[in-house]
Amino acid sequence: MQLKRKFETGEFAVLAEIEPPKGVDTSRMLASVKRVKGNVDAFVVPEMSNAVMRMSSLGGAMILQGLGVETVVQVCCRDRNRLALQADLLAASGCGICNVMAVTGEDPSYGDHHQARPVYDIDIFELLQAVQSLQSGRDMAGIEIGGAPEFMVGSTVNAGARGKSPELELEEMNKKMAAGAKFFITPPVFDKTALDPFLKRVDRSRAIIVPTVLLLKSLGMARYIQRNMEHVYIPDELIDRIRKAPDKVRECIHIAAQLITTLKQEGFHGVLIATLGWEDRLPEILELT
Amino acid sequence: MIVADKKPIEEIIEQVKDKKTVLVLGCNECVTVCEAGGKKEVGILASALRMYFLNQGQEIKIDEVTLERQCDHEYLEEIRDVIDRYDAVVSIACGVGVQFMAEKYHSTPIFPGVNTCFLGVTEERGLWTERCQACGSCILATTGGICPVSRCAKRLLNGPCGGSTGGKCEISKEVDCAWQLIVDRLKALDKMDDFETIAPVKDWSTDRAGGPRKVNREDVQP
Repeated sequence: MQLKRKFETGEFAVLAEIEPPKGVDTSRMLASVKRVKGNVDAFVVPEMSNAVMRMSSLGGAMILQGLGVETVVQVCCRDRNRLALQADLLAASGCGICNVMAVTGEDPSYGDHHQARPVYDIDIFELLQAVQSLQSGRDMAGIEIGGAPEFMVGSTVNAGARGKSPELELEEMNKKMAAGAKFFITPPVFDKTALDPFLKRVDRSRAIIVPTVLLLKSLGMARYIQRNMEHVYIPDELIDRIRKAPDKVRECIHIAAQLITTLKQEGFHGVLIATLGWEDRLPEILELT
Repeated sequence: MIVADKKPIEEIIEQVKDKKTVLVLGCNECVTVCEAGGKKEVGILASALRMYFLNQGQEIKIDEVTLERQCDHEYLEEIRDVIDRYDAVVSIACGVGVQFMAEKYHSTPIFPGVNTCFLGVTEERGLWTERCQACGSCILATTGGICPVSRCAKRLLNGPCGGSTGGKCEISKEVDCAWQLIVDRLKALDKMDDFETIAPVKDWSTDRAGGPRKVNREDVQP
């Protein structure tokens, strides 16, 4: 409920992404969360991001809830039909998870099981409507359920993504809001100004926009993203800054921290910090903000 | 062939009710065979629409054309000179034809006049049944020539499931269990060894899982 409270009061919320393991050894995930749990309001547990098979978001979130931390579970259209999605939502609520985030999911061809048949029984808008329906006490078939879940509901928005029309993105976000989504997580942002064309069109008193701050790990990673991830904008100056730094990792941590500080000053409701396995660097980042 | 079924006329009326000139466009191929979108059906649909709008006191000019195919450029080109005369086209070809028309004639609304159902056969006049889902990786060699992907409700590659009773599928007593058919056929062919082998996990990337598909045959390209 911490996240909901912060979103509602406008207090800056810190979310951290924590990938469940590819396997059953959760010790690393647990150790990472234990180290930073005091500084993080909620942990976002991705549902097999990039279509790479690993422990499910619900499973990972349930394990983390056991540590007494708040989680955001992802429900994904790619791998489950409407029965399974609704069943997982009920299970999440039953396990005390109070935040859900609807995602479409990348195509299996991106991942490590490229022969898999994706499901997409329902799309993200229908999924958000399904969450709304469950919250009002009925399932997608209109059948009354015993006790309705209550979630803080979120989704994604491609704000600041290159090659996307801000008008279309806004329209899509409005549709998601009409379907019940309250908060929206953006793709990785490295330059706040990349969000401006989108933000100019958004009424931020209505939509909770949470930018993702991705911790770069090396110059190579920054260059790779710049060259290969067309929708993500990394300014050349940032690449130069990392290149010239004697301690590149430390510089990347500074970059992430500075960006978080900027986003906080700009009045965003919160930030999602993605560290891609470097959760142990989270305290350093947060200390600098 | 591609099997289609007639759309409820109310749906078509809803699409064209604000138009002044409409072309009902048929196709001489699969949809003619399954009696959903050929020349005869073009005439029936056009007459029904004319009658409806006449009764409503609405003046809508409805013309009829049936092309050899709607899935080839050359045949679609036959209407290039007349397409601008129409506010809309109701294509009663399969979904392929509707889309190819829409790709070719950008500024004319093209509405579907049939529901495209499946790849199937004519069992008898008026009865068409499914045989293929175009999964892109045919396994009929090991299943006795009977396709579990299109004919088993669960698309099981290692059936039958526990719901198979008396040779019928659990979804309906009217539906044959595809795996019972496969077993019967393998027995007749003395190929039950095929049944005892567990089929490998299917690669669905050749199905729709890999996104829109294409066949690119350089050997036959001009």
